[in-house]
Amino acid sequence: MSDKPARAIKLNVINEPKDSYTGGPSSLCPGCGHDQISNVIVNAAWENGIKPHRIAKMSGIGCSSKTPAYYLGQSHGFNTVHGRMPSVTTGAYAINKDLLYLGVSGDGDSASIGIGQLIHAIRRNMDMVYIVENNGVYGLTKGQYSATADVGSKKKKGKANETQPIDLCALAINLGCTFVARSFSGSKKQLTSLLKAAMSHKGFALIDVISPCVTFNNNDESMRSYQYVKDNEITLHMADYIPHFEPMAEVEVPEGHYTDITLHDGSTIRLETISANHDPGDSMAALTALHEAEVGKKHVTGLLYFDASKPSLAEDLGLVETPLLDVSDEELRPSKAMLDTINQEFLNQ
Amino acid sequence: MDTIANDFTINIATANGTGSQSANLILLQSLFDMGVPVSGKNLFPSNISGLPTWYIVRLSDEGYQAPGDRTHIQVLVNKATWADDLAALEPGSVVIWNMDSKMPMDREDVVSYPVPMTKLARTLSPKLAKLVTNIVYVGVLAELLGITDEALHKAVAGQFKGKASAIELNTTALELGRNYAKENFTKGDPYVVEPRAIEQKRFFMEGNEAVALGCIFGGVQLLAWYPITPSSSLAEGIIGWLPRLRTNDEGESTCAVIQAEDELAAAGMVLGAGWAGGRGMTATSGPGISLMQEFIGLAYFAEIPSVFWDVNRVGPSTGLPTRTQQSDLSMLYEGSHGDTQHIVIIPGTVEECFEFGWKAFDISERYQTPVFGLSDLDLGMNRWACEGFTYPDAPMDRGKTIREQDVFDAMENFGRYRDVDGDGIPYRTLPGSGMAPILYRGTGHNPDGVYSEKPHDYFALMKRLKDKINGARDHLPEPLLREEIEGDVGVIYYGSMENTIQEIDDILEATGLKVSQCRVRSLPLHSEVESFIRRHRMTIVLEINRDGQLWGILRRELPNDIVGNVHSVAYSDGMPPRARIYAEKILETIKEVSQ
Repeated sequence: MSDKPARAIKLNVINEPKDSYTGGPSSLCPGCGHDQISNVIVNAAWENGIKPHRIAKMSGIGCSSKTPAYYLGQSHGFNTVHGRMPSVTTGAYAINKDLLYLGVSGDGDSASIGIGQLIHAIRRNMDMVYIVENNGVYGLTKGQYSATADVGSKKKKGKANETQPIDLCALAINLGCTFVARSFSGSKKQLTSLLKAAMSHKGFALIDVISPCVTFNNNDESMRSYQYVKDNEITLHMADYIPHFEPMAEVEVPEGHYTDITLHDGSTIRLETISANHDPGDSMAALTALHEAEVGKKHVTGLLYFDASKPSLAEDLGLVETPLLDVSDEELRPSKAMLDTINQEFLNQ
Repeated sequence: MDTIANDFTINIATANGTGSQSANLILLQSLFDMGVPVSGKNLFPSNISGLPTWYIVRLSDEGYQAPGDRTHIQVLVNKATWADDLAALEPGSVVIWNMDSKMPMDREDVVSYPVPMTKLARTLSPKLAKLVTNIVYVGVLAELLGITDEALHKAVAGQFKGKASAIELNTTALELGRNYAKENFTKGDPYVVEPRAIEQKRFFMEGNEAVALGCIFGGVQLLAWYPITPSSSLAEGIIGWLPRLRTNDEGESTCAVIQAEDELAAAGMVLGAGWAGGRGMTATSGPGISLMQEFIGLAYFAEIPSVFWDVNRVGPSTGLPTRTQQSDLSMLYEGSHGDTQHIVIIPGTVEECFEFGWKAFDISERYQTPVFGLSDLDLGMNRWACEGFTYPDAPMDRGKTIREQDVFDAMENFGRYRDVDGDGIPYRTLPGSGMAPILYRGTGHNPDGVYSEKPHDYFALMKRLKDKINGARDHLPEPLLREEIEGDVGVIYYGSMENTIQEIDDILEATGLKVSQCRVRSLPLHSEVESFIRRHRMTIVLEINRDGQLWGILRRELPNDIVGNVHSVAYSDGMPPRARIYAEKILETIKEVSQ
C-alpha cells in the first residue's frame, strides 16, 4: 500500500478522462505508423473536448481503415467498403449533420479505388475530417505499389515503381478543397495541432499523413521509409490552433529554429520551419511548395491551404435546422388531407 | 360499311425530338376524357433528337392495355422508317401520311389519306413547322375518328398549363388538320371513336411519378441518385414534389437530395442514411444495380435499412436502354457476392406504385435489410389510368430502433446482432446516441458486433439472416389471386404483366381454356404461392425475359413433389408484352407438357 495520494486523473474541458477516447488493442504490425496516428486522434479529440459519442468514425478497407477499432471506443463507426467511405459518410451526414465525421483512409482507398468518391466529397465540401494514412503501398495484400508510390521507389523484391504518383494534396488544392494539410505519422505534435484544427473546420479537411509501412515499404530506397522521410521532410509552419473553449495555446517554432521529435522507434526527426511566411490562403504558393518539394524529392508538411469562405454541404442541401434524424414521423409524412387534395387535383386536371 | 368503334390501334411514326410526344399525349388525353378505354406506349430511342420513335395508341372497350397484335391506323411522318412501317401493314389498314415528305406511297391495298402536313404547318409558323406538323396529324385523326373539339381543347389546356401562346398555336394547328380532312376526305375506313360514360373518374399517371409520391408519403429523408433511363423521372418526380410537400415556409426541406457521382456513391449514401437512422433511397435501373452490388451485400450483412428502386430496362449490359423487360428479378433477389437473399416488392399498377413507395421504407426498417422496389420501363414511363392514391393505413414502422436511454437501459443482454426476440431481427442503436456504440463492418461479426472469424459465429449469423428474411415472407404484399373453380391450369405472373393478363386470359378462354391467375407481388415468395401451385395440376410462370427468372426461383424453393408441375413461359423482344404472343406460348407449353 502506498501512502502517496492517488494522482488525480486529468480531465478535459468536458470533464472526460482520456480513457473515454481510447479504443481496443491494435492488430497492426508492431511499430506501424498508423498506430501513432490513432493515438493522435485520441489526443486531438480529448484535447478538443468533443463528446466521444458525437463523433462518427468512418473508414474504407485496408490497414488504415481497420484502425477505427483502435480509438474512440465510445463512438459509433462504420468500416465500409474499399474506397467508398466518402459516400457513406455523405449519406449519414444528410441524416445527422450534428455529428463530427472523422474519416480514416489509406492511399489504396483514396488514390485508387476511391479517388472518385474522394474528389466528389471535396467538390461538395462535405463537412468531415479525412485522414489519409499514406504509405505508398498495399499492406493488407502484402506489398503492392499504390498510386502514391513515388517513381523510383523500390520494394524489397521486384522492380522499381516507374509510374507517376498522385499527390493527394495537390489534387485537393486544385479541386478547391477548403483545408489541405500534410504531416508525418511521427510528427505527433504537428499532426495533433493540424487534426484539432481540422476537427473545427466547417467543410472538407484533408490531412495526408505520410505513414511508413514498417513491413513492406521500409527499405532505404523507398521514398516513404522512415529513413527517407526523416532525412527529407521540410515543414511549413505548424497550424496554430485555437480551441473555442480555451485561450490560445500557441505551438511556436520560431523562424530559423528547428525542433527534434523522437519517433516511436527511438529515431528523431527534424522539423524545420522553413516557410513561416507561407500564406495558407494562397493556393498558388501551396502548389508551388508541393512542386518544389517534389522536384527536390522531399515531403513538405504543415497546413498547405485553407479557405473558410466556401459554403459547406449543409448549406447546399437546404435542410431544416433540426437534423433530419430528429424530425418527427408526423412531419415527414404529409397529411391525409394533402393526399386527398392531390387526388382531387389529378381528377380535375 | 360497318363501323369499328373503340377497338383498334393507332401507330404514329415520327422522329425523336420533334415535339411529337406532346401531340401524342394530347391525342391520348382527349380519348381518355371521352371515356374511351385507351392506353399509350411510347417506343422511343436512346437519343435526344433525330432517331425514330413510335407512339402506339390502343383503344379498347375491353380495357386491353397491351399494344395489340397489329396496327389499324398508321400515321407516317418519319422518312427513316417509312418503307418498313408501310410494308408491315395488313391489307385494309389506314395510312395517314405526310405528302410533303416526298416519300413513295406504293400500297394499293390500304386506305390512304395524304395530308400536306408540312405545308399546312408552315402556313401557321414557318419556324415551328416541324413541331406543328405533329399537331396537324392529331387534327386529321380527330376529324376522321370523331374526337370532339371539347376533348381536344381540354387536353391542349392540360398539356400547356396556362401558356396562352402555346395553347393558341396548338388549337389553331388542330383546326388546320381537322379542316383539311373535312374538305378533302370522304371517310373510307371503319374506325370510329364513340364516347363512353365515365363510371369511375380516373386520371393518367406514370408509374415513376406514383412511386415518387409514395416515397414522399413514406417520409423519405435522403434521395441519392444518378441519372439513368428509365428511372430518372422517378427521382425527378420526388424532387418536383418536395417544395410543396416537404418544405417549410423558410424554404427548408426535410429531405436531402444528392445527385451522386455514380451509382456506387448513390448506394453508399443510401447506406449512410440508413446507418445514421434515416430513410434513404435511390432510383436506378439494371446497370445501376449492377454497380451497387458491393453495397447491397454490405447492407445485407451489416443489416442497414436501405431502399432501392429498380425501373427495369432491357439488358444485359447497356442493352436496349429505352425498352422494357422483367430481367433484374434474380439479380435483385440474390444481389452481391456470397449467400444473400433480399426482399423485393413488385407493383403491377400505378396505385401499387404509390403504396409500395411508402411501404418499402417500413419493410426495410422493420427487417433492417435492403428492400428493392421492382418496376419497369413500361409501368414507370407510360401513362396508366389511376383511380387515385390511398393514404397509408398505418403510422410509419421504424422497426426495432432504440432511441431512448430508458428503453435501452431496460433491455437485457443487448447486442447489435443478438436475436433477442427469436425472429432473427436484432435491435439497434444509432450513431450519436451514445448507446452501445459499435464499429459497423462488412466483415464477420459476433452478436455484439465485434469482429469474429469463429466458425460458430459465422454459421449462426448466416442462419439468423436467412431466418430473418424467411420470416418476412407472409408480411410482405401478398399475391393477388383470380381463381377459376374448375381451372386446372394456373398462371403466375408479376409486375407490369398485369396490364396484359386480361387480354391473354380472354384469348385463352376463346380456345376453351380457363386459367387461374396468381400475381406475385413480393420476394421471398408468400406461402400462398405454394398453395396456389398445389391447387392446380399445372402452373405456368409468365415473364417478360428470356430465362424465366421467377420460374428459376420457384424451382429452387418449391418442395420437390411439386417442382415438376411448374413450367416457364418467358419471352422478351424489348416491346411491351403483346397478349397473343404469350397466349400462344402458353398453349404450346401446355401441349408440350401434356404429351
